[in-house]
Amino acid sequence: MSNVVDIRGASKSFVGVRALDNVSIDLAAGEIHALLGENGAGKSTLIKIITGVYVPDSGIMKLGGQEVSFRSPRDAINAGIAAVHQERNLVPAFGIAENICLDRLPVRHGLLDRAAILADAEVWMKTIGLKLDPATPVRQLSVAQLQLVEIAKALSLRSRVLLLDEPTASITPHEADRLFEVLRDLRSRGVAMLFVSHRLEEVLALCDRVTVLRDGRNTAIGQPIEGIGRRDLIRLMIGRDEETTVPPRSHASDGAVALELKGVATAAAHRDINLTLHRGEILGLYGLVGCGRSELAKAIIGAISVTAGEVSVGGRPARIRSVADALARYRIGYVSEDRKGEGIVLDQAIATNIAVTVWTRLARRWSRFLSRTREYAAVRPIAERLQIRAPSLAVLAGKLSGGNQQKVSVAKWLLAGTEILIMDEPTVGIDVNTKAALHRLIRELADDGKAILLISSDMPEIVAVADRMAVMNAFRIVGMVENTHSYQDMSAKIMHVIHGVADADAETAGSGRVA
Amino acid sequence: MKRARAIQLLRTGNAGLALILLVAIVALAIANPAFLTSFNLYVVLTSVALWTCVALAQMTTLSTGQMSLSVGSLGGLVAIVVGGLCELWGVPLPLAIAAGLAVGFAGGFLNGILIATTGINSFIITLATFSAFHGLTMGLTRAIPFYHMPASLKALGNARFGAVPLMLGIVLVVALVVDLIFQRTRIGRYMLAYGGNATSAVLSGLSTRKVVIFAHTMSGLLSAIAAILTVGRLQIAQPTIGEDWLIISFAAPIIGGASLTGGYVSVTGTLLALALLAVINDALVLLGVDPFWVQVVLGGLILAVVSVNRLREGRRLGEAIAR
Repeated sequence: MSNVVDIRGASKSFVGVRALDNVSIDLAAGEIHALLGENGAGKSTLIKIITGVYVPDSGIMKLGGQEVSFRSPRDAINAGIAAVHQERNLVPAFGIAENICLDRLPVRHGLLDRAAILADAEVWMKTIGLKLDPATPVRQLSVAQLQLVEIAKALSLRSRVLLLDEPTASITPHEADRLFEVLRDLRSRGVAMLFVSHRLEEVLALCDRVTVLRDGRNTAIGQPIEGIGRRDLIRLMIGRDEETTVPPRSHASDGAVALELKGVATAAAHRDINLTLHRGEILGLYGLVGCGRSELAKAIIGAISVTAGEVSVGGRPARIRSVADALARYRIGYVSEDRKGEGIVLDQAIATNIAVTVWTRLARRWSRFLSRTREYAAVRPIAERLQIRAPSLAVLAGKLSGGNQQKVSVAKWLLAGTEILIMDEPTVGIDVNTKAALHRLIRELADDGKAILLISSDMPEIVAVADRMAVMNAFRIVGMVENTHSYQDMSAKIMHVIHGVADADAETAGSGRVA
Repeated sequence: MKRARAIQLLRTGNAGLALILLVAIVALAIANPAFLTSFNLYVVLTSVALWTCVALAQMTTLSTGQMSLSVGSLGGLVAIVVGGLCELWGVPLPLAIAAGLAVGFAGGFLNGILIATTGINSFIITLATFSAFHGLTMGLTRAIPFYHMPASLKALGNARFGAVPLMLGIVLVVALVVDLIFQRTRIGRYMLAYGGNATSAVLSGLSTRKVVIFAHTMSGLLSAIAAILTVGRLQIAQPTIGEDWLIISFAAPIIGGASLTGGYVSVTGTLLALALLAVINDALVLLGVDPFWVQVVLGGLILAVVSVNRLREGRRLGEAIAR
């Protein structure tokens, strides 16, 4: 095997923070090389060095044996390096086809050759299994479809080197399998690939070698994946064993109903939703991306209108008109899956982010002015309880790691005295450690008598944390499963429930979103 | 499929705007038959022609998600350069026009290069150049217009075929070229791509500096064309040309559907918006309304149209959530 990309001793600092410290990695032709590490370990920085977005402070990068130094992304593209970045890389108003071909728009007689663009893009859409009109503007696509377009775009460069930064974070297992087939095919054709994922099962099944980063340094460089287990990978990533065992629930639910939906239909196409959530209970809501989970949460908090059926809170009929209504009158909080977009305000202080739900309570009686002192006094206990790690509460939320941002996002609802908390994918893109801490927190909250609706597409998570599970598919609840806390057992049951229905109306499930 | 097309057409907003324009024309024709006289139509079309390049100049910077406050003051500078060359030095008209276009090009290029190299917001940079260009114009002329314009320039501004001014033909050709640039050329798509998602443009390896400089230079050229036509129409090169361009330069593209954050513009929409504004302006004149009220109506119209767009976006968001 020959090394296509070879990086030795790369370092990169950003204003005082050492993101990469003497990191090495090499990619061989015809391999899928895993890059692992917790959030903030430096994976994305490394990818951005290889793609010419960042220039390293020191270190050597060789491409096919030749030393290179990229000054811009253009240099990397010209050198045959393509990447699927974590950032959205698409132009909303443009069609799928034009987005795929954006960096090489074909021209005939000085004008764009639209037919050529469509034909070119269609090849790659077919490869990845994206059955949509190539002229569809990408702003009309779902998150999973956007991700597939990004991947098609990267594949279409036919590059020797393909870097994939969490390509499977938002797509369904089925779509992921299809992607893996494509990647295996590329491997057989000699493409060198770098694959970043938080899902270790994927890494173990797909990759040939693994490089691990911890706090910006190598803890493994190109180790063969054979003979390495999940435990070993986690130890390399966090430096010790993962706390896999979630302690058993000490308090059971007292049986009082906190939230009940009866025959609910919504403006977002839900039909006949029946759901009961008890005080002190963690109810898991499992389903694939795009099955209507988050939309149901938004309907419960009044952000999407309920068109039929009954909603009751604490046994009394409820009419929730807005998110403010949900919080003030029914004490329902929603931790959004889109942490940065909906969960927190990035350029505001931690204290402000948390106190926003209680400003009216904190304001002085007559003047209605808010005082910084009161705000901090109110926020401090909750920040300490959740162990939000920051030098002070004045630190901007945008400066925090993903895990700490999520804690801020949860803290603001707790401070507001929420009794029913809906948590939507609370641990997506969060490192193993913080994930365990959040799982413990969810348990504690339930032990305190809060009712928790935990939405997740992470099956190990939901099996570890939830008491019961509602399974959702195509905007319906297709089954309720009692949790046995055995991963094998539960995944079989859940898949059975989903596929039992999916087979019956494969039409709706499969073609539901094709324009 | 056909129905889907029709829905798509309605969504883009131009059909709605065309409908409003049609209703306005019919209503005005009924209310005051004087509207349909050849001379009145000529007046309306002339104002459309005069404003077209002004609006396109701003539309071009809007496409990248930026703006130019100096559209008008650059126009004023071009106007006095053309006027001065003709009157003071007797430069032949084609050369004077070329010099005017060169000034527009240079002014726009300056904006572009300042924004691209300093990374400072376009609002700030063009606020500064707005002041500089305006000061230059006033300093050079001491605020005194050039009165003696060549006959050929006057003819350019006043020639008409029935109700249709020659200038309208010129600006329609310009508009066509601008549309072609945005729809069918790489640089045009890249301006929109940069406006729609700057990160995407960077990661796709596009030169964002080139895109920004091109957009502002193109904007400057369009300002220059607008200024030359205005001199032809007024028959004098006034230093105050361009002082009243700012509002219309934003109003027309935005009513025409452009996104203030960049990524989407419509030449057709902008032209329809200009026609609608001209008809409304004419209506107020024909109905004897004080011209100052026209500005109030313009303000109201901007609010109304942006609200409608906003609602439409909201519905789209609802659909996206429902998906």
